[in-house]
Amino acid sequence: MNITVCIGSSCHLKGSREIVTKLQELVRKEKLEESIELTGSFCMGQCVRGVCVTIDGTLYSLSPEQTEGFFYKEVMGRLTP
Amino acid sequence: MGVNVEISYKSLNKHQEELCGDKVELLKTKDSDILILADGMGSGVKANILATLTSKILGTMLCNGASLEDSVETIILTLPLCKVRQVAYSTFSILQIFHTGEAYLVEFDNPSCICLRKKSLLKIPYKERMIHKKKIREYRFQVEIGDYYVLMSDGVVHAGVGKLLNFGWSWENIAEYATKAVTTCFTANRLVMSLSDACNELYMESPGDDATVAVAKVTDKKVVHLLTGPAVEKEKDAQMIKDFLEGEGTRIVCGGTTANIVSRETNKKIRTTLDYLDPKIPPIAYIDGIDLVTEGVLTLSRTLTLLRRYVKNEVDESFFVELDKKNGASMVAKMLIEECTDLRMYVGRAINVAHQNPELPFDLSIRMNLVHQMEEAVKAMGKEITVTYY
Repeated sequence: MNITVCIGSSCHLKGSREIVTKLQELVRKEKLEESIELTGSFCMGQCVRGVCVTIDGTLYSLSPEQTEGFFYKEVMGRLTP
Repeated sequence: MGVNVEISYKSLNKHQEELCGDKVELLKTKDSDILILADGMGSGVKANILATLTSKILGTMLCNGASLEDSVETIILTLPLCKVRQVAYSTFSILQIFHTGEAYLVEFDNPSCICLRKKSLLKIPYKERMIHKKKIREYRFQVEIGDYYVLMSDGVVHAGVGKLLNFGWSWENIAEYATKAVTTCFTANRLVMSLSDACNELYMESPGDDATVAVAKVTDKKVVHLLTGPAVEKEKDAQMIKDFLEGEGTRIVCGGTTANIVSRETNKKIRTTLDYLDPKIPPIAYIDGIDLVTEGVLTLSRTLTLLRRYVKNEVDESFFVELDKKNGASMVAKMLIEECTDLRMYVGRAINVAHQNPELPFDLSIRMNLVHQMEEAVKAMGKEITVTYY
């Protein structure tokens, strides 16, 4: 699974760094390094909806506070069939 | 041979003096760069006036084609007489390097120029002649890329005299120090700082005389192309990228969307990193064939503060520590300050509507301001710059 976080100017200001750090921690905590690939991307063209995060191409709009909930609902939800 | 000259200098004022009695003048003519260092007799206001008049007169006259004889005569007839000593006096050195690589050095009573070629001291033959009873040394020679020429006032040679060192730093020791310093790929500015700091230390931070170091380094022409911002009309993107990629040079792309356009137009993948080396600066990315890819406005704002510190000569150890960091902003600043003689900027003027959001903690709609201010800063460094808008 690939999770891509937008690190463009606008998303950066809205907290993409915190989101990246949190996701990295969560992946480590759940020992999912093998199955999850975390990457960054420059502007996804959806600045209004920032911070933009995609899971295998599907766009989500996140704030740093929502990261943990997002991880357990969307990411873990997809991993466990 | 087309050579470029990188010049930098720094003066230490005599202890408790507000004005410096040394004066450095930099001039660009159509076919050469001229560096003048004058050291007025005494210190404080009087010395400052003597040195300023001397360097200005020499610069203006030589630039306009006057002979050395005429220029020296004018100085002698113009300088105000010192009431105490009944003489008007300022020593000087003039170094002129032509774009062809020919060089002309004139010295009157200043410590002689330290010439470094391939990390060792170069002795250049000179002729002595008398102009209006003043003994003047003239050197004519050919420079090579990588040469350093160090001009200094006698305050540097005397550093530490009677205190830390019986006879001061001495020309030979300075030359040896400089030779050792340049073994790494040093810029003119770094050599100036290194010599000036050492000099200040020998004086125990309270110089007994004005002490000035000026360095000219001979370099290749180094062209940098910098692209930032998408074109107003999408159809112009292709042309903008084509212009940006044309010709020799280092290539920098500043801007996420801009980088995406480059990737699209060149059919090369963009690889973004997640290495936050500085929490305030978004990580850099990679595109094959582009030397540096960064985020746009946040990065360039930081770059601009570094460029401005450099222009204002607020350069110390901490500045270089900052400049050597591996975040996008420091990397751009380092390329522009140390690895660039000609900057070509390709600037797209499109406005991202989402950036005009008052809720953001930083005004992202300032690309145009940034570009103008960068243009000014780069000009102030004596580099050539062109800006093309799309």
